[in-house]
Amino acid sequence: MLNVAVVGIGKMGLLHAGILNGLEGVKLRAIADTSKFLLGFAQSLKDDVEIYDDFRTMLDKSKPDAAVLATPVFLHVPMANECLQRGIPFFLEKPLSLTSADAEPLVAAVEQRKLTTMVGYMMRYVETFAKAKQLLQSGALGELITFNATIYVSQLFKTGKGWRYDKKESGGGVVIGQATHLIDLLRWYFGPVSFVSAHTRNWYSQEVEDFAHAHFEFAGGVTGWFDSSWSVRHHRLLEVSLTLHAANGNLMVCDDYVKLYLDKPAAGFPAGWTHFMKPDLFEGVEIDLGGPQYTRQDNAFIAAVKNGAAVESDVRSAYEVQRIVDAIYASAAKHGEPVRL
Amino acid sequence: MIDRIILGHNQFFGVNHLEAQAGNEREAYFSDAARIMDIINFSFDHGVRAMMMSTHERAFVVSEEIQQDQRLHRELGIYLLVPYVAKYIKQANEKGLVNIVKDSLSGTSFQDKMGMFWRGGVGLLTKDFKKILTAMIDFEVAPFANLNLRAIFLHDVMTDLALGWDVPEVFRLYADHVQSKYNAIPAFCTKNLGKLMRLLARAGVENPLIMASINKLGYQVNPSRAAFEQTLREHRLQLLAMSTLAAGYLKPQEAYEYLFSLPNVASVVVGVSKKNHAQETFATIRHHMSPGKLREPLPAAAHELLA
Repeated sequence: MLNVAVVGIGKMGLLHAGILNGLEGVKLRAIADTSKFLLGFAQSLKDDVEIYDDFRTMLDKSKPDAAVLATPVFLHVPMANECLQRGIPFFLEKPLSLTSADAEPLVAAVEQRKLTTMVGYMMRYVETFAKAKQLLQSGALGELITFNATIYVSQLFKTGKGWRYDKKESGGGVVIGQATHLIDLLRWYFGPVSFVSAHTRNWYSQEVEDFAHAHFEFAGGVTGWFDSSWSVRHHRLLEVSLTLHAANGNLMVCDDYVKLYLDKPAAGFPAGWTHFMKPDLFEGVEIDLGGPQYTRQDNAFIAAVKNGAAVESDVRSAYEVQRIVDAIYASAAKHGEPVRL
Repeated sequence: MIDRIILGHNQFFGVNHLEAQAGNEREAYFSDAARIMDIINFSFDHGVRAMMMSTHERAFVVSEEIQQDQRLHRELGIYLLVPYVAKYIKQANEKGLVNIVKDSLSGTSFQDKMGMFWRGGVGLLTKDFKKILTAMIDFEVAPFANLNLRAIFLHDVMTDLALGWDVPEVFRLYADHVQSKYNAIPAFCTKNLGKLMRLLARAGVENPLIMASINKLGYQVNPSRAAFEQTLREHRLQLLAMSTLAAGYLKPQEAYEYLFSLPNVASVVVGVSKKNHAQETFATIRHHMSPGKLREPLPAAAHELLA
């Protein structure tokens, strides 16, 4: 039995705790939070789970086989360091840190110690985005030219409350809070970024940006832009959409489908349109809580902890995402002046 | 007894499990409540005397319209889904879980009514999940309490959270509260039928009414279609089948031929937004819903469902 501890019983902590505890061979052993209300509530719900108001005490006393850190961003690096010192593999909710510099020593130490880590970029486990990755790897499209992408949700239309809208605790607004999902996908699809140029805009929030637009040049040659906001209407759910233009055709991917168009047959795909709708790609999971992608992600983490399986979305990968976030903010501060990475 | 065909509600609120864009467009179309009432009346005229309803704010308007229509108020059965989880997830993103609780308790923002409820029914800063859960149900059901409530479903996010956390007491408590306070059938929506049936057995909830996705494609069916079918064969339950068309991916003929070949399918919920589709869909369901294949009807009184 693999014992797991969860730090932070907010929305994501509740979710991961539920999924992990629902998996065969995994048990939720302990939780830590600074809210006595949430701890008390959890204890009245489940009396066989240990509760702690200090996560360090929890790590020492409960000695979990793995930890989930689902706390505000400014706590990520310090908490990950505590896990590292004790040799406890950790799953960290995204993003990695306030800035890439904050995380640099952590990433180096994790790699030196070969500790298993994962950062919660779950879009990679959404069927359509995973399929798009396969199509890109097939080489069917030929040389990639340019893309445009959006990530939108109707979330904030007045001044927000809590740590997400406090720059010291969150590191920034929609870019670091939500667009990092898309930045992670872009890096996964196209590799390292060499130049970024960006603009951001505050409207509802005082300290952090509600809108952001960024242009990228990737080392591999592809260029493109994304537009992101959590303050746009008519997007009930967080929706990501990407269109890619390439030498032999184009590719469109969003949460619901992947559509491939080829001028001529390649890599086993015919000329013309090939559609993959979400129902075509769906595969069930052992327990579904909030979407199968979270279970696939947690399964990948558990497999890495148990058998040393590789984790693609580890702290190193998340650190590279963080460097792009830094570049976006640096460029936006100078009215879009290009920043080299 | 439970209605055999239940009009779905997702299309009215912009939920589309195939294409978010289509969902958003439909959400805009149905922002006029008269268009929702038009579909409800049309379905009623074609023999569909029941509908699902979540506690979405648009549903408050629909609830009032139904109460003003004598025919609908008297004869339309309501299958209510609580709580409206998306609202709380949005608020959690906006201000965090702890602030939702704090604001609810103080009643300063969010909803004064919610604060009142919590102060009156729960007491300040209670940490007892039993009191919180029942207060939450009462708060969510209140605007719909005058409707002809047949069953009250616990939303799949709540059901499956209690399932993952492995807390059978939640199911027992929910079932007892819904039965005693509302005299409605306590029911559960889930994405994990097999696991849920095993936990409900531990909770002492027998022959439950369960809403879950099932379709020939296996879309949104966990952990697999084969495992789901096995649960239907091996457990005593009444299934209210949803996502039977796999979000519009399957044709009704093929979809319902498969669905009604399964045991324990008591009822089907279907979302329609166009009259011609509605008529065709209802007719196809009735064609395949041969009485011989169906189990005995559900008892009307909720207590008969429970051990």
